[in-house]
Amino acid sequence: MKKAILKAESLSKSFSSGGALQHVLKNIDLQLCPGDFTVIMGASGAGKSTLMYALSGMDTPTLGTITFGDTVISGLSQDALAVFRRRHCGFVFQQIYLIESMSVMDNVLTAGLLINRDKNALIARARKLFAAVDISEATQKKFPTQISGGEAQRVGIVRALINEPEVLFADEPTGALNSKTGLDVLNTLTAFHDQGQSVVMVTHDIRSARRGNRILYLKDGSVLGECRLGRYVHGDSNRHEKLNAFLSEMGW
Amino acid sequence: MKKTVLIARANMRRAKGQTAAITVLILVAAAMLNLWLMLSMDYRQNFDRCHDRLNAEHVTLVLNGEADGLTDFVAETLDADARTDQYTMEDCISMVGSLFCNGGEINSEFVILNRHTAENRRIGKVEITEDSEYTSGVYLPILYRSDSSLTVGSEVDITIGSHTGRYTVCGFLNSAMLGSHNCYMCTLIFTDDKYEELEKIGCAPKSTLVSVRIRNLSENEDYEAALKNAVSSQFPQIRTVSNSYSLVSSSRYISQMICSGIVSAMAFFVALIALVVIASNVINYVQENMKNLGALMAAGYRSRQIIAVLLLQFWGIAGIAAVAGIALSYGLFPPINAMMIAQTGIPYTPHFLPVPSVLTLLLIVGSVALAVLLSARRIRRIEPILALRQGVQTHSFRRNHVPLENTRAPLNLALALKTTLSGIRQNVIVCTTMLVLSLVVVFSGLMVENVIVNMDPFINLIVGETADSCINVSIADEERFLETTAADCRVKKAYLYNSIEVRHVGAVALTATLSDDFTEVNNPNVCIEGRFPKYDNEIAVAAKYAGEHNIQIGDEITMTADGNEADYLVCGFTQISNNLGRDCLLTREGYLRMGELSSVSYYISLTEGTDIDAFNEELCSRLDTNASINIHSAVEASAAVYVTLMTIIVAAILILSVLIITFVLYLLVRTMLTGKKRDYGILKAIGFTTGQLILQTAASFMPAVILSTAAGLVINSLIINPLTALFLNGIGIVRCTFTVPVGFIAAAGAGLAALAFGIACLLSLRIRRIAPRTLLSEE
Repeated sequence: MKKAILKAESLSKSFSSGGALQHVLKNIDLQLCPGDFTVIMGASGAGKSTLMYALSGMDTPTLGTITFGDTVISGLSQDALAVFRRRHCGFVFQQIYLIESMSVMDNVLTAGLLINRDKNALIARARKLFAAVDISEATQKKFPTQISGGEAQRVGIVRALINEPEVLFADEPTGALNSKTGLDVLNTLTAFHDQGQSVVMVTHDIRSARRGNRILYLKDGSVLGECRLGRYVHGDSNRHEKLNAFLSEMGW
Repeated sequence: MKKTVLIARANMRRAKGQTAAITVLILVAAAMLNLWLMLSMDYRQNFDRCHDRLNAEHVTLVLNGEADGLTDFVAETLDADARTDQYTMEDCISMVGSLFCNGGEINSEFVILNRHTAENRRIGKVEITEDSEYTSGVYLPILYRSDSSLTVGSEVDITIGSHTGRYTVCGFLNSAMLGSHNCYMCTLIFTDDKYEELEKIGCAPKSTLVSVRIRNLSENEDYEAALKNAVSSQFPQIRTVSNSYSLVSSSRYISQMICSGIVSAMAFFVALIALVVIASNVINYVQENMKNLGALMAAGYRSRQIIAVLLLQFWGIAGIAAVAGIALSYGLFPPINAMMIAQTGIPYTPHFLPVPSVLTLLLIVGSVALAVLLSARRIRRIEPILALRQGVQTHSFRRNHVPLENTRAPLNLALALKTTLSGIRQNVIVCTTMLVLSLVVVFSGLMVENVIVNMDPFINLIVGETADSCINVSIADEERFLETTAADCRVKKAYLYNSIEVRHVGAVALTATLSDDFTEVNNPNVCIEGRFPKYDNEIAVAAKYAGEHNIQIGDEITMTADGNEADYLVCGFTQISNNLGRDCLLTREGYLRMGELSSVSYYISLTEGTDIDAFNEELCSRLDTNASINIHSAVEASAAVYVTLMTIIVAAILILSVLIITFVLYLLVRTMLTGKKRDYGILKAIGFTTGQLILQTAASFMPAVILSTAAGLVINSLIINPLTALFLNGIGIVRCTFTVPVGFIAAAGAGLAALAFGIACLLSLRIRRIAPRTLLSEE
């Protein structure tokens, strides 16, 4: 068995709301292995995004330990977590979150220049990634408000991958897109996963979930069940049935 | 209307910090505006009120000495002049004298009256402002109360002619025309016993004080010149000293004029900054609340109503802040008043002045309304549907400033520059503020260098010529004096520098300064254009006077003294503020074409370390004269008030500058943090630390700060002397030659930029509160 890249032990997260404590994550134990495409599913309010942001160091857990490689990140300061994120994590958001005052290329380079000293190599990598997601040179010079949602999300993926993160975290990456552009984005993610990129994706869309090789189902802050699928192959009907059966079992 | 008020109140509550900062800026602007209006509208009138209350004279003439038929002649002259309204003639003792005040020697023509005469003057009543049970001593003008050692019951040494006596201070007096040594004559009231004692000593001649009120005030200077000329022509042996309403009212309010000028400039600049900030705030509000505005318009609100909300909101702030500022100005007025009284010597009781207050309120509220209306015009173009969809683009990014692909700048600097270059409004506000503050820095530097640290340039500008000692000798003793000083190794040089009154025919009296050779003077800057007179037919006149009378270099003007007239060629322009720009320079030979000299004053420069008082005493005893002045001491005493005034002004405007820069940056940083909250969240999510974002934010202000400060310092350094001359024009200064302290200004500019950076960093600490997770879950 491969060594886990990310490990959560007794992970809990609570929020205080109107004086009452809400336990969003309850005592979760979890391991993510390199090369996995882990999909976190569950109903609204199950704690999917909270779990993903806790695992990625975007948020801190209330209790428990998160170990990334050999580093325990659950006790790090906000600034140390920022440094950790820039080195090890890439993020793709549902709302895309490109900076509107910067060109497409600058959005990517802003993240890349945080850790890359060799600017030429960085630009070359950015161009390679842009080519891989079919973003033209002309588009690279545009501002986010001047491109389509699908293009913007693909730019978001390039930005997430520019620093060669160990894990790419995607929070409902197709949530704000129409089905055609959403499919393009999924194909892009799958393609990078096929090249060895570890991915953690939160979704409540079965079509998106099918891309993963490991499905975690969350309910009321706990992992209710887990389903292992093989590597994604387009048109694999067994995979679809297996996932449907798992989700039915989970009460989806 | 009720809804409008509610929305306005809600807007203010939502932006408490911004409301507070704008309130403070308007409060400061209103306070300064009201102070300026009070100083310029009422303070100067105080002299007129005092003058009327004391039924003071318009022209004062002291006839120094007695001669047969003198008073009869004066009475006949006054009676014969149709301009005369009423006059009195009283006995007095008058002589050049001195006393110590504010650490220096005050020299003046003392007009000594006994208490009974003083209090019963029909014209020019003297008011005892502070009395005591002491029955033997002297009453001093309240001007000298500024010296904490001169209090009722204390003792003061007063030199009158050759006699120095120690007198108990019985109290203080107020006299409109004779209450300050800055007006040629200064009165002292002696108790009857001390007055008799002085008469017996005989150190000063019995004199006559002539006080005249005229029918038409505007003729006071002409009247003075004519009267003096008539007396001098008939009795050339009688020394006359005079002053007039115009001269006294101007010279007693020099500090008020300077202070009022500075306060008005500061009020204007602070108000300008406040208005720019308000305009920017309104534009930001429209951008940030596009959806809310769309919702209001969709619900039936008209753009006029939304603008009315903003107007009400800022009127509310401006009105309250202006009223508070007006109240603050009344709080600040007593210390400023105390400072002013130390120079004017005329008591002023602060009281509520409705006109300046109403004007301040109207000016503030009116200008705020204008700023709001101009900046809220955009609301008229909002379409509800587009606004609801955030369809109105808040930015039109036409250009990718500082593309990261090409720039060599480090990442954080490059991102800061991107923010700088895309924030035109932010840059305009920063530049306006820094240009104003750099003027403050340059002015402060100029005052520190030329007034506070080393007052010589200020003294050279105001006083004109200075030396160490001044000795007055009779013409008969002049040769012996010159031999004595030539033989004295302590004397570096002694040169004739004698002031005497002459009259420009057809115009007013001028103070003529005579010298044998003007190349000897220590301050060649007295002559600002052309050259000093060299020949007996040449004259240099005050530039201010020349400007007022359209006199050019090369013109010929006719002067008169002792009843004789002579023509002179104007060879240069001078500036000496002692006589408020009413003076001229002549060679001795030139003056002798008109009049005689019975005595002359010599300025003496002594070697380093010489005890000036001891030297004066020794020289006087050897020459059997008693008229000597320690110029250093005298000048220091006179300048002390100005140095104190300037120190307070510089400290006040520097504190104000720090406040202004803090509030302006607070507003800008807050606006930026609100506007870029989403971007900060994204940047934090992808790995930027709080420290990096704080530095980026603070650094984004720095290009505008540094460039505008540098440009401001250079431009203001170039214009500060002409600007100061403009301020001081009223006292005869047309060209200011203060040293611009480049080092100080550069250091202060760097300090200002560093301060701005530090404040921006501190204010940007709020970035710590932006958590990427919270931001992402909010959207």
